[in-house]
Amino acid sequence: MLSMLTNPTILGQIVVNGMSLSSIYILVALGFTLLFGIMRVVNFAHGEFAMLGGFAMYYLYAVFSLPWVAAILLAPLAVAIPALFLEWLVFRWFYQKMFQSMIGLLGLSIVMIYSALLTWDAFERNIPAAFDGILRFAGVILPIDRLVTIGVSALALGAFYFLMVHTRIGLAMRAAAQDVEIAGTQGIDTRKIYRVAFFVAILLAALAGALYGQVYAVSPFMGERPLFVAFIVVILGGMGSIPGAALGGLILGFTESFLGTFYGGSVASYASFGAVILLLIFRPWGLLGKPE
Amino acid sequence: MIKISRRNALAGIAAAAAIATVSSTALAAETLRIGAIGSLSGGGTAWGLAIKRGAELAIDEVNQAGGLSVGGKNYNLELLMYDDQYTGQGGKTAAERLVFQDKVKYIVGPIGSNPVLSAMEVTTPQKVLLMSNGYTPKILDNEHKASYNFRFTLTNLEYAPSMMKWVKENLKVTKVGILVPNDAIGQSVAPPLVKLYQDNGIQTVVDYYERGSKEFSPLITRLMAAGIDGFDINFNAPGEAGLMVKQARQIGYDKLVYQMGGPSVPEIIEVAGQHSEGFISYEMFDFDAPSAQPFVKAYAAKYGKGIINSQTPAFYNATKILIEAIRRADTVDDTTKIRDAVEKLAGYDAGVYGPVRWTGKAIYGVDHQLALPFYVVEVKNGKPVTRAVLSVD
Repeated sequence: MLSMLTNPTILGQIVVNGMSLSSIYILVALGFTLLFGIMRVVNFAHGEFAMLGGFAMYYLYAVFSLPWVAAILLAPLAVAIPALFLEWLVFRWFYQKMFQSMIGLLGLSIVMIYSALLTWDAFERNIPAAFDGILRFAGVILPIDRLVTIGVSALALGAFYFLMVHTRIGLAMRAAAQDVEIAGTQGIDTRKIYRVAFFVAILLAALAGALYGQVYAVSPFMGERPLFVAFIVVILGGMGSIPGAALGGLILGFTESFLGTFYGGSVASYASFGAVILLLIFRPWGLLGKPE
Repeated sequence: MIKISRRNALAGIAAAAAIATVSSTALAAETLRIGAIGSLSGGGTAWGLAIKRGAELAIDEVNQAGGLSVGGKNYNLELLMYDDQYTGQGGKTAAERLVFQDKVKYIVGPIGSNPVLSAMEVTTPQKVLLMSNGYTPKILDNEHKASYNFRFTLTNLEYAPSMMKWVKENLKVTKVGILVPNDAIGQSVAPPLVKLYQDNGIQTVVDYYERGSKEFSPLITRLMAAGIDGFDINFNAPGEAGLMVKQARQIGYDKLVYQMGGPSVPEIIEVAGQHSEGFISYEMFDFDAPSAQPFVKAYAAKYGKGIINSQTPAFYNATKILIEAIRRADTVDDTTKIRDAVEKLAGYDAGVYGPVRWTGKAIYGVDHQLALPFYVVEVKNGKPVTRAVLSVD
């Protein structure tokens, strides 16, 4: 244990593992927290949009053999654009109705899982690695596919930050998140804002799914774990808080990596949930959230 | 619970209704249902499909040859399968539906200690035959003396002594890392394995992960830090096992990775890609053997030329043995007679493994364990190559 703490190679490996875990966690959680922050919708079907992103990536990259860059750009769009129909059909009825949204979207999640199961099958599909090699840097091993995941996540996070902070639509979204009625009276078209926020959230979820599917595997049930993670991350960071999602993702990824390596898998899970319970008792609005 | 088989069940009911109408005018075959339980979702899916497809191939053979004649009647066989989601609760629910609702008398599957033990709680008191595969000794060594259970694949207690001898002589490992799920399966199978390694003078480092987790890099880093020179991915479902091989290589673990249990070589090659090179595994079946070719052909004709999971022939074998026992017992209802017929089936050859030999008395107190040959394979240029053929002592 002590020898592990002082071994720079192992510490380096823990940091790399933690970064790669965090980057996917953050992507999944961002869209989830965006939907909650603006529309007060708890999207239980979030993992299923990630699952569809995984399948889109599977078809574009593994089946149709598109170049990887094209596939990773197109896969989220291939999910988010048709998802606008679901927004019209299902989601819009649940805006600003938190409890109804939980039950309604849990239903949607089940419908999506079993539609996927009927369309494909339950087999886990493997998306061939686009970047299979490893780099060695000062004794630390850097798997290239993980580095790419970290890079894509960082780019997406950067683009998302730019959208929210430096564009008019981002400003309008933040205004709507603060108080939807006042935003409306100021001339903001909330229906349009909702649709844009939904589109961006699904885009991020599907991107996370595409990356997740390539690093792990694609199956109709693959969305369960990302949803589970999104919950912890978002509760840690604060429901609706975007910097909170980033911070929560980093904390969870690094906790899993450090505790998993030092104390084993059970302790890592125990600590993550223990932290969530403590947080809910003493600071229910999360690390960077705002008390209601 | 997935109602994968609802369509089949509806088709069955429709067919039965049609037959009932027809049989008033002409003598037609009755339908005899064989139940099945297996994972049709999650990491154990490949095994559930192995049960389904193995059983279907055996049933097709009988139906195409004109059905099964028992007690002066002719039966058309039909498979009715439910998903256990590779969980205890799933196994129990599936067994309850098959036994109480569908009135099935014999079940092939499930695979996995949790679903098997839970299904047994339902099947044994109802005298329903369970032809399963799970690693825990309790499947055969229990208070009912496994009165209605048979096991159709080897467990570590059967193959591990010979396999361990081979590993020790050929791989020369000194300290082995083991990752198992943190549930009843992991906690019941890890200790005997650790003891076996220790008895052979090999150290072990064991760690547990939460089932459903897909990220093993932190735990593998932990094993590497403990100085392992062998990584045994022993009891893990195919999806997880493949990711373990891939992630171990990705974080720079360059020593031996092998699997003394399982097995799921084709899936591991599929998931781990180039990282599966040099992976060594226990294997239940040699698909390249001449005796396996009729089975391989029948499989390809029905399901295409994809991966054949090596549990598939085991459940083909189990279903054929069950059908032969029903034929010899000359009853479709008296499961005690059928059970006795299964026990007396020594010498019967279902075609893929050679003559039936029952074993297990010394370990479990009952000869309800099928003895089978087994193999050691190594992945070379993306393909499993047989390195050794071993047998149960």
